[in-house]
Amino acid sequence: MAGLLRTEAGKGLALSAPASLYVGLLVAAPLGILVAYSFWTQTYVEIDKTLTWANYLEAATDPLVRHLMLRSILIAGAVTAATVALAYPIAYFIAFRTQKKTLWLLLITIPFWSSYLLRVFSWKLILGFNGVLNSALISLGLIDEPLTFLLYNEFAVVLTLAHAWAPFAILPIYVSLQKIDRSLLEAATDLGCSKLERFVRVTLPLTVPGIIAASLIIFIPTVGDYVTPSLVGGSQGKMIANLIQVQFGPANNWPLGATLSLVAMASVGFAAILFAVLATALGRRIR
Amino acid sequence: MTDQNIIEISGVEKRFGTFTAVKDLNLTLKEGEFFSLLGPSGCGKTTALRMIAGFQDHDAGSIRIAGQDMAHIPANKRPANMVFQSYAIFPHLNVGDNVAFGLRKLGLSKADMKTRVAEALEMVELGGLQARKADELSGGQRQRVALARALVMRPKVLLLDEPLSALDKNLREAMQLEMRRLQQKLGITFVMVTHDQYEAMTMSDRIGVMFAGKLEQVDRPEVLYARPCNRRVASFIGGMNFLDARVTGDNGATVDVNLQGFGPLTIDVNPNAPARSPDLLAGIRPEQLEIGAQRPEGYDACLQGTVSDIAFYGESVHYYVRAAGVEQPISAAVPNYFHTVDHKRGDQVWLGVQNASVIDLGARDA
Amino acid sequence: MSEPLNKPLSPAVSKARRKPIRFPWLLAYAVGYLIFLYLPVLLLPLFSFNDGTIVAFPMKGFTLKWYAQLGEQDTLLQAMINSLTVGAVTALVATSLGLFAARAYVRYRFKGRELSEGLVMLPLVIPGIIVASSMLVLFISLGLKPSLTTVILGHVFVALPFAVSIMKSAFDDFDQSLEEAAFDLGESVIGTFRRVTLPIVAPGIVASLLVTFTVSFDEFVLAFFLSGNQPTLPVYIWSQIRFPAKLPNTLALGSLLLLASVQLLLTAEYFRRRSTKSASKSA
Repeated sequence: MAGLLRTEAGKGLALSAPASLYVGLLVAAPLGILVAYSFWTQTYVEIDKTLTWANYLEAATDPLVRHLMLRSILIAGAVTAATVALAYPIAYFIAFRTQKKTLWLLLITIPFWSSYLLRVFSWKLILGFNGVLNSALISLGLIDEPLTFLLYNEFAVVLTLAHAWAPFAILPIYVSLQKIDRSLLEAATDLGCSKLERFVRVTLPLTVPGIIAASLIIFIPTVGDYVTPSLVGGSQGKMIANLIQVQFGPANNWPLGATLSLVAMASVGFAAILFAVLATALGRRIR
Repeated sequence: MTDQNIIEISGVEKRFGTFTAVKDLNLTLKEGEFFSLLGPSGCGKTTALRMIAGFQDHDAGSIRIAGQDMAHIPANKRPANMVFQSYAIFPHLNVGDNVAFGLRKLGLSKADMKTRVAEALEMVELGGLQARKADELSGGQRQRVALARALVMRPKVLLLDEPLSALDKNLREAMQLEMRRLQQKLGITFVMVTHDQYEAMTMSDRIGVMFAGKLEQVDRPEVLYARPCNRRVASFIGGMNFLDARVTGDNGATVDVNLQGFGPLTIDVNPNAPARSPDLLAGIRPEQLEIGAQRPEGYDACLQGTVSDIAFYGESVHYYVRAAGVEQPISAAVPNYFHTVDHKRGDQVWLGVQNASVIDLGARDA
Repeated sequence: MSEPLNKPLSPAVSKARRKPIRFPWLLAYAVGYLIFLYLPVLLLPLFSFNDGTIVAFPMKGFTLKWYAQLGEQDTLLQAMINSLTVGAVTALVATSLGLFAARAYVRYRFKGRELSEGLVMLPLVIPGIIVASSMLVLFISLGLKPSLTTVILGHVFVALPFAVSIMKSAFDDFDQSLEEAAFDLGESVIGTFRRVTLPIVAPGIVASLLVTFTVSFDEFVLAFFLSGNQPTLPVYIWSQIRFPAKLPNTLALGSLLLLASVQLLLTAEYFRRRSTKSASKSA
């Protein structure tokens, strides 16, 4: 043992073991139990431990599950697209058009460090029927009646989440832009590219890894977001996480909740891999 | 320098996975010697130094310092201290505390410690800079602090890993002389790793030349220059023309050869170079060749050719001459005594060489 | 032909020449984006001083009474104590685990290093609801009742990636020959850690403590599932959001929390900068 600790590999393993064991155990153990639960059934407080596919069958056939799952993925996709599209110009601005890079990066990240719950709550106040935006527009005389399309729908969910995840999109894209050797851009110009061509043929392909990283880091957690659909989604904006919470809470059907969690995780994983493969292939097509 | 052996390395090997970084290293250093390990990057010289320091274990062989086997002695217990390539000045401590860092472990009185720190800083001409912060030091000053911090421990051996490579050219040359002076004054053994042949030659008593993990030759600088043991060593130190030579007669201390392009010559046998037969590789230093428009008088062999290129170095001019029967152009260096460049491209010239200027480099494939 | 030769010599001049006065679209967009980012964050404090229960324009008079009322609520005080406890313990545990792991990743090459590095970053990309539900199931199965302990176990899990990446960048800029130099000068392994490593990465440790504390302090979903009848502040706020009459108090409380988070993070940022600055000075 003492001999092992003297080698480089031994020291490395010993020092990193507590952290990786902690995460490993808290990923593997709950997952194992989740899988077990997904094959059990529950009536009131009794857990019936006979193995059955019933939960998976229910998850596959119940139109509500399919509907919420699909909507979650579509909303997460929309959030990802909107956030990345809105963030790219900012990342570009910070990387290429300003000397005060650290100040801008700090300004971008500060709001993110405030409580997520409170920010979502604040959007609810802004977008509401008698909310800040409507009342402001009315007092300015721009509208007569409050706008009703603002709150309690998919739009509100996408807007709120695009706000919440902004730094997660800006930072990876900024890093990949920052890494671009400036002489590559000069070479492209030298070889006859216009500014736009240069962006499309050099800058954009080189930032594909950053875009993919940003997209995954936003997409995966967003599919399972609970707070935003609950607060600003209304009945139109509910997502799969709300259904899962109901199973673990009011409905008290843990086996179904476990099944939904696993199905959600699998769907997210599948969608994420599909996206990464497609985006990489697309990036390579640009010559 | 005394006759006492201070470092004895025998049969030392170091492997990283399947890569052998240091092969069968044998080396004995005298007390008070300034020794340099010279070689290209990746040749294993730094690994060798770090094994002496104790930062790397060796896989085979033994390392002894002052007669004591270092096998199970960690770096912090060895009578050797190191000046790091990056200098490794502790950024959170000032100059005085940096120098006193190791002393605090020795249980000295406060006054003793203060005196020793002051002496050490005085020695590297940084007297009175104890309170200076680490980030307020120039490159040269950092180098001096690193030197003082190691020397204050009064080590038997000082190890230096490319100590001057971070400095600019003028400062580097000044520090070379200063470190040499300091080493002679203190009489401590210095072991320095460098890739700079001039640095090694100006500072060292002896130089060991390493290639691909193997120590090829250990000698005084002037011997290394005059009698390199093979082509690799010869080409790494100074400029050299390589020519094939056929051995036509063996006279013991000399051999008769037929030198490519030049013809018959009688040259000294190089005791450092391994056996030869029937051919040997001969080397001629560019500055040992005479060049002229006419056939030079009083030379043992001559050759006629055409100037193909000229390189002006300031203190000398190098002419590259193409001659029949020689594949590579031969370079001849002429000291720039009169601020003139006597030949131009395309000129017909003669090269003359003396027997004593032709170096026997042993078998061609050694 | 003199034009291209001039270019590298006078970048300022050529830049000015190339770009005539043009409307800075990107800058305008960036400023607009900042307004979008800050709007909801600044709105809470703004209306927390509004003398009315409805959050809408036009605003009524200025008042501090919503803040004053906060002190009278015992459940709020208990939730605050819960959150502080959870945050402090989480910060300590996550930072210790992160400190050792980061050192291993930066300093040593060993089998499974990349696997381990990937693993500790995993909590960042698992949807919160899945972490929360699966941990709830696990803890119940193990006989652990939802409590502050289970919240801490969950929070260490989500805070660990932050601790590891902060400590990794602190060690990244740390010149390894500093430790060798200390060792070479006769210091022991532990002495080297105490006299050289720790002082130099100390700002990184402080930054990690502050960030992981903030992550825990603001976290809602895990606490919602795992806190049982010991609510943390975000869980308490969640319970208050439903009551319109409590809205102004919630705004006041939220504003205080925003202020605290931002303050903590700016302090962390200060220390993080100092850590990279001090470590890179050694070269």
